[in-house]
Amino acid sequence: MTDTPIVPEPEPTEHRVRYHRDLEEIKADIVRLGAMCDEMIPQGTDVLLSGELGMAQRLIDRDDDVDRLSIEIEERCYNVMVRQSPIAGELRQLITITKMVAEIERSADLMVNVTKAARRMYGSPMTPQIRGVIASMAKEAQRLLRLSIDAYVDENDALAGALNDIDDQLDQLNRDMVEAIFEAQSEGHIDLAAAVQLALIARYYERIGDHAVNIGNRVIYMVTGWLPEHNGAIRSRNRSAEHDEVEPIGAEATTTETSSDDGGEQSPS
Amino acid sequence: MTLVALVVGLALGVGLTVVFLGRRERRERADDGSTSSKSRDRGRLNRTEEERLVRSLNAVPIGIVVFENEQAVFANRFARQFDSGRHTDALVGQAIEELVHRATSQGATEDEIDLYGPPPRHLSLRALPLEQGDGTPLGEGILVVIEDTSERNLVEALRRDFVANVSHELKTPVGAMGVLAETLIDEHDPSVIERLSQRLHHEAIRLGTTIDDLLTLSTIEAGDTLELDRVDVAGVIERSLDHVMAAAELRQIEISTEIDDGLIVEGDRRQLESAISNLLDNAIKYSDEGAEVELVATAVGHNVEVSVTDSGDGIPERDLERIFERFYRVDQARSRNTGGTGLGLSIVRHVAINHGGTVTVRSREGVGTSFTLRIATSPSVAAELTGKRPNGEEVANVR
Repeated sequence: MTDTPIVPEPEPTEHRVRYHRDLEEIKADIVRLGAMCDEMIPQGTDVLLSGELGMAQRLIDRDDDVDRLSIEIEERCYNVMVRQSPIAGELRQLITITKMVAEIERSADLMVNVTKAARRMYGSPMTPQIRGVIASMAKEAQRLLRLSIDAYVDENDALAGALNDIDDQLDQLNRDMVEAIFEAQSEGHIDLAAAVQLALIARYYERIGDHAVNIGNRVIYMVTGWLPEHNGAIRSRNRSAEHDEVEPIGAEATTTETSSDDGGEQSPS
Repeated sequence: MTLVALVVGLALGVGLTVVFLGRRERRERADDGSTSSKSRDRGRLNRTEEERLVRSLNAVPIGIVVFENEQAVFANRFARQFDSGRHTDALVGQAIEELVHRATSQGATEDEIDLYGPPPRHLSLRALPLEQGDGTPLGEGILVVIEDTSERNLVEALRRDFVANVSHELKTPVGAMGVLAETLIDEHDPSVIERLSQRLHHEAIRLGTTIDDLLTLSTIEAGDTLELDRVDVAGVIERSLDHVMAAAELRQIEISTEIDDGLIVEGDRRQLESAISNLLDNAIKYSDEGAEVELVATAVGHNVEVSVTDSGDGIPERDLERIFERFYRVDQARSRNTGGTGLGLSIVRHVAINHGGTVTVRSREGVGTSFTLRIATSPSVAAELTGKRPNGEEVANVR
């Protein structure tokens, strides 16, 4: 950082040691944050399926812990970024973590939503089909989250890239759920209010899967420097470029004399 | 408890040694080889002793980690299972770190953590400052003991529920009979008398079945009355089907079977029959009217597997590990209608144990349930595979 050769060894090394220790701590904390959210998935599902609302408060308290750690991690990331000016891989690592924090924190919130829905639905029975799909969705959502954390810890961009396809399973379960809700409602097993809550619940699990896919994308960025969203961005840019090409044609009519050579080149399209 | 004490003693030994060795080595390094080999041997375990100690600690089903200056310097095999540092292991790691930190400043301390998993676990953690022989603390050395208490908690729940359930199952029909009889005394209307007597009869039969099942279970549980024989599996299945045919017809349930030829096991014919009929009976009871139940018997390696699959409502995941307990009910209200005793699966489980086999369950709510009874083709093979005696003596007291 500073190019002063006069400064003897001890200071910068100590500085670097501290920097690397900070990095390691942040990395450990983001994995811990993932684990906290990971635990909330079966816990919230248990509240929903067993109807034991006593556990709901514990889960909400846990979400507060998630929020606290999220803020801490984010602040520490900014702190290191500002004070240590990391570059290349280490900078991408920190940027990835700040993005991951948001995804994990949101997933934990979704589990809080599940337990709140469980409270609202208290007493209304669910059909075995619905219970079965919920149990499978919870398992699948947790599996995806775990895989995304695995991809991060192992810096495995192949696994991270596969998450999108793995997520298809959860999307299918979401469709199964909608079907099961229609069936249960038409046969009079559940009322409309419960049907709406259940549809929302299915959506919450499905979103957790989406957040895991997002984490996967960020991991790809961390490892390769390429964010998969760029593919979409390129398509968008190409489309606007096409628009730009069209525009001069429209403009051509009014400003023919000023840009005749320009318009002549592009008019064939 | 004695095991824990023993382990802690053992671990203290190793911990002291490890910490002591660490110190000594550092000091020696500082002296740069000036120490004679004689003085190095003093207070140090020789290699075989050390290996023996480490191997013993690895064999202990309790986690032991030794910390020095809040850094782990030794972990036995059980503790190393939490090593991955991710998912739930990250939470265990954090809890241990915090505990060690607290123990460093405040002395011995403990904590408990509940993990949803999967697998769900309940861990009890304890941190103890390491002490020298005279009781003074040994610098920053901390010993952490990790105990998995999930199994113990489950057994406690089982014991608690069993007493409640058994009194419920026995007292309910007796209570009903008492009330019915009392009403009968002053009743003169013949139609009412008829109805009450029918109810009385029904309750008596119910109580009789429960007692019969309890007796069957205790005989099977004792495990010493096994009448070993070469048993033709197809024949056992056929007789089991006879037992449940009436119930199946009543609910218009079709039982399809697929049985490999020439399946022979060495076992107790009556017990096997009772296990398979219980599985079939359950499948019929928990299926919708007009549904199909499937029985498949095949040879898999040295085992014969009999699986019974229904397309009923399925069993919630949180109940799966408890359904083999005596009187355990997934849904109290529903079991009243099906008229079971709540002992069927316990019987199946103990028959499996007696034959050195297993019974496993797979279920998804809304899809159905499949039970698989796995029995070795002969007890001698079973004994070879499981290391247990074929009469089930050693395993009979497992729940």
